[in-house]
Amino acid sequence: MSDFTTIGFNERKVDGDSLVTGKPVFAGDLDLDHVLHLALLASPHAHAKIVSIDTSRAEALEGVELVLDHRNTPPTRYTTAGQGYPEPSPYDARMFDTTVRFVGDRVAVVAADTLEIAREACGLIDVEWELLPPVLSIDDSIAEGATIVHPEEDASGIFDAARNIAGAVEAVVGNVEAGFADSDIVVETTCETQYAQHVPLEPHIAQSWMDEHGRLVIYTSTQVPFHARRIVSRVLDIPVHRVRVIKPRLGGGFGVKQEILQEDVLGLVTLRTGRPARWEYSRKEEFVSSRTRHPMRVRVKVGATSDGMITALEMDAISNSGGYGTHGLTVLSNAGSKTLPMYNKAEHIKFSGKAVYTTMPVGGAYRGYGATQGCFPLETAIDEVAVRLGVDPLELRRRNHIRTGETSPLFEELGEGRKGVEMTISSCELGKCLDSGAELFGWEAKRSRPKDEGRVRRGIGLSIHMQGSGIPEVDMGAASIKMNDDGSINLHVGATDLGTGSDTILAQMAAEVLGLPLGKVIVLSSDTDLTPFDVGAYASSTTYVSGTAVVRAATDVKQQVLEVAAAMLGSPADGLMLGDERVTSPDGQSVTLAEINLRSLYGADQKQIAATASFVPSESPPPFMASFVEVEVDIVTGKVTLLDYVAAVDCGQAINPAMAEGQVEGALANGIGYALMEEMVFDGSGRVRNADMARYKLPGTLDLAPIKVILVESHDPTGPMGAKSVGEIGINGPIPSIANAIYDAIGIRLTETPFSPEKVWRAMRDAGIE
Amino acid sequence: METVLATSLDEALDALTADPGATVLAGGTDLMVSVAYGDLRPSSVVSVRRIPDLHRLDDSFVGAAVTWAELERGPWPAFAEAARTAGSPQIRAVGTLGGNLGTASPAGDGLPFLAAIDAEVVLVSRAGTRSLPWHEFITGPKSTALGAGEIILGASIPPISGKQAFAKVGARSAMAISIASACLLRDDAGSTRIALGSVGPKPMRARRAEEMISAEHSPSSAAIDEFARLVTEEVTPIDDHRSTAAYRRHAAGVISRRLLERCLP
Ligand SMILES: Cc1cc2nc3c(=O)[nH]c(=O)nc-3n(C[C@H](O)[C@H](O)[C@H](O)COP(=O)(O)OP(=O)(O)OC[C@H]3O[C@@H](n4cnc5c(N)ncnc54)[C@H](O)[C@@H]3O)c2cc1C
Repeated sequence: MSDFTTIGFNERKVDGDSLVTGKPVFAGDLDLDHVLHLALLASPHAHAKIVSIDTSRAEALEGVELVLDHRNTPPTRYTTAGQGYPEPSPYDARMFDTTVRFVGDRVAVVAADTLEIAREACGLIDVEWELLPPVLSIDDSIAEGATIVHPEEDASGIFDAARNIAGAVEAVVGNVEAGFADSDIVVETTCETQYAQHVPLEPHIAQSWMDEHGRLVIYTSTQVPFHARRIVSRVLDIPVHRVRVIKPRLGGGFGVKQEILQEDVLGLVTLRTGRPARWEYSRKEEFVSSRTRHPMRVRVKVGATSDGMITALEMDAISNSGGYGTHGLTVLSNAGSKTLPMYNKAEHIKFSGKAVYTTMPVGGAYRGYGATQGCFPLETAIDEVAVRLGVDPLELRRRNHIRTGETSPLFEELGEGRKGVEMTISSCELGKCLDSGAELFGWEAKRSRPKDEGRVRRGIGLSIHMQGSGIPEVDMGAASIKMNDDGSINLHVGATDLGTGSDTILAQMAAEVLGLPLGKVIVLSSDTDLTPFDVGAYASSTTYVSGTAVVRAATDVKQQVLEVAAAMLGSPADGLMLGDERVTSPDGQSVTLAEINLRSLYGADQKQIAATASFVPSESPPPFMASFVEVEVDIVTGKVTLLDYVAAVDCGQAINPAMAEGQVEGALANGIGYALMEEMVFDGSGRVRNADMARYKLPGTLDLAPIKVILVESHDPTGPMGAKSVGEIGINGPIPSIANAIYDAIGIRLTETPFSPEKVWRAMRDAGIE
Repeated sequence: METVLATSLDEALDALTADPGATVLAGGTDLMVSVAYGDLRPSSVVSVRRIPDLHRLDDSFVGAAVTWAELERGPWPAFAEAARTAGSPQIRAVGTLGGNLGTASPAGDGLPFLAAIDAEVVLVSRAGTRSLPWHEFITGPKSTALGAGEIILGASIPPISGKQAFAKVGARSAMAISIASACLLRDDAGSTRIALGSVGPKPMRARRAEEMISAEHSPSSAAIDEFARLVTEEVTPIDDHRSTAAYRRHAAGVISRRLLERCLP
């Protein structure tokens, strides 16, 4: 492993220079002539029927080119979720429907010469509404006689529309009832998580135009260009070959851009008018009309023996999917499938859940994807087991966690909304994570100090986590490499760099295989005309899935290089060495990659050295993390201050350690915000009251603890260069670690996020601490 | 939107008189937010930042164009503390006391100090200069007695001795609008004044609490409890997206007690 030349090194991001020098690399930077600006008329009601809509005044406004609403747009039902086909999300949405199902839902879109005109025209659209009873919470949705959110007959894939259930799942291993009966102790808890938004610095933005051949081009800030092409083609009923989707640089996504929210409308505007079009969400629209994290209520029951072995696990989750079921079932599934397998000594496991419709903002993919919601009750319940048994929670986890070579029956029983895939853990360094994390954190010393009794009380907490590396037997990534006459390569990948740096790490992999400096790898990604297919950036899949495709393509190219070199050197290919941009024979003769390619392109046996490879994983090796936090709770105000944070992560071989650490740090900050302050607040009619960054509080640097990330040494034999994944896992740590630390500080288990001063204060007051 | 960059009071007053739809612009950290959100469309703005008279800062006067950053280094420790909690360095570099007064938000962080110290707001117009006690200038949430064609010259600050402190509770460590704020002044004889922000329609004094604690030369812990309790009784907070009234009330009591403790010998 140690003889890598670029893997494991902190190479500079291949797009770093253009980004920091302000080159026009984002979707909004493109300046198109005669572009139409789009503005959204969003629903002011949580639930209502459009009785009539009159757009004549809007259409009459000078500068208005087109107004779209349910009367002049395709009625096709589809899902906005950019997932593998066929999608596991119900087809319950239309481009424009006659019923609106949350405040912010699409009513109409105006295309005009300027944004000001488009917005003004939106104000001139007259809608006659028939108000329907709103469904504003999980409880409203599951109540007897609840208003049905999706009664329409042409929707498909809904689990049980009459009971507002978008999706449901159940997985059973053994017999939990018997398991609990046999346990020495049983702990049960129910936790609730709140609505939150991704808040990418760059809101949704896309532009479209007709190219010189009359094909539709969509230039969009998306995590899923190929799904976008497929869905646009289906919804607009035009062939895939008439559509090209290009993804430029992204200003962040965190999952919210795994949705097709603008491309369909832009495409239709351009097709109808022949003019380029541009649509950019305002920050408010990003909050109100895009996607959010599914709030969940998750009940967990844990049975354990008196010697601290977890024997039975039950998890039951209800997820609030909002007005549409996008990602509802799969996020729900991951609440269990990306948490429970960690405790694989348990013989009895049951996971059940449902994603329910409400007339609230729509849940979508959000970093952590359900694991974040599921690990909260699980890791607090495990902590409680440790407390009741008088065992160090660190030790309890050491005894119970999954290990290399082991499996969990749940891998097969529970996939993403369907059966999963059986797998054996090919690498698990949770033990190392716990050891090295505890040491850097000073777990022992902090645990053994006397409890604070004053106004400000310190506490420590830990939790362990897993995620996945792509969706097995579903995800697919492909890469093409061709070599040029100076020995450089073009690396074309469908994979979608959303700011994570995947272009860089994929280039590092190709460079490693081909003995090239990174500067000789020219990366082009995410253009449906020019690059091979990839499902896109989600499910922590890019390093593992797309990376393996890159390694395969590079390996094939390497073989071709060696064959040409063999002819040039008169030495058999299998004895040749590739490195330092040259091929060397056992007797010390060598030819450079440039010489090899000059010959191949211009000299003898002419051919393009090139290869394309694909990869579909048969398993999804989880990355693991041990998360440690120290907090200070002011028992008078309820304010929780973070003093120290350590996260030790097993992501397999880190391809670029600085970027991998950056992913963990960013995810932790993201998770700390969700744990302590981020929350979409609603009024009684389902309207967001804090739809801007002044009122929706993201944590600032002063709110974060000193964050220390350890990447433990690890190598996954199934992964490209030994790598697994690292993009999501960090976000899961803060909620349960902080909850456990608050418990350690003040003896109260908080079961609702965010842990705002007010909530902590109320909990203390209820418990009689003041 | 026309912009007049006034370099003298005369010029500014002329511009305001010439266009009744004109609005004064100082740092723009409130005004431009309203413009950006489409809540405000002034026909012209008169920038007052270059008017020398508005930059006066000494022991008895703060000019309207004095920024948070300047107040951080000003002569009053509690005012400086308040200034330090406002916004971010960028906001503090341009946001002014005149703007904080002009906006008159219940959460304005400069206002509790002015209320505690009984500052007067000095206004100037073509008709002359007038001076209003702070509570007459601020007439309600985001409303003031500022007349048409009038400019805030600044705030005159009575002399003060003893200890003073400011504290604020927000939803995060910086860039947070107050959930509750308070400023407490206590002189060597024990006479105490406390003003609070974000717990009523406008900054307010907790007079009963003041009276009670001023009579205590070295307050016992029971007296401190009583002081905090009276503050929680006197405030009139509301529920909003930032906090519930109940927590605001509690927070007001907690910070009042902490400020008092900091100002005891
Ligand atoms: C990101 C951000 C964070 C903030 N954080 C805080 C905070 O923590 N605490 C806080 O208190 N405030 C905060 N604010 C609000 C704002 O910064 C303050 O109220 C600031 O003091 C306003 O001053 P300004 O000079 O920018 O006023 P401007 O925006 O220029 O003006 C505000 C109002 O006052 C009027 N005005 C200004 N000067 C005069 C004058 N001389 N005569 C007559 N009228 C005048 C204007 O016409 C306008 O109506 C924040 C604002 C932003 C954007």
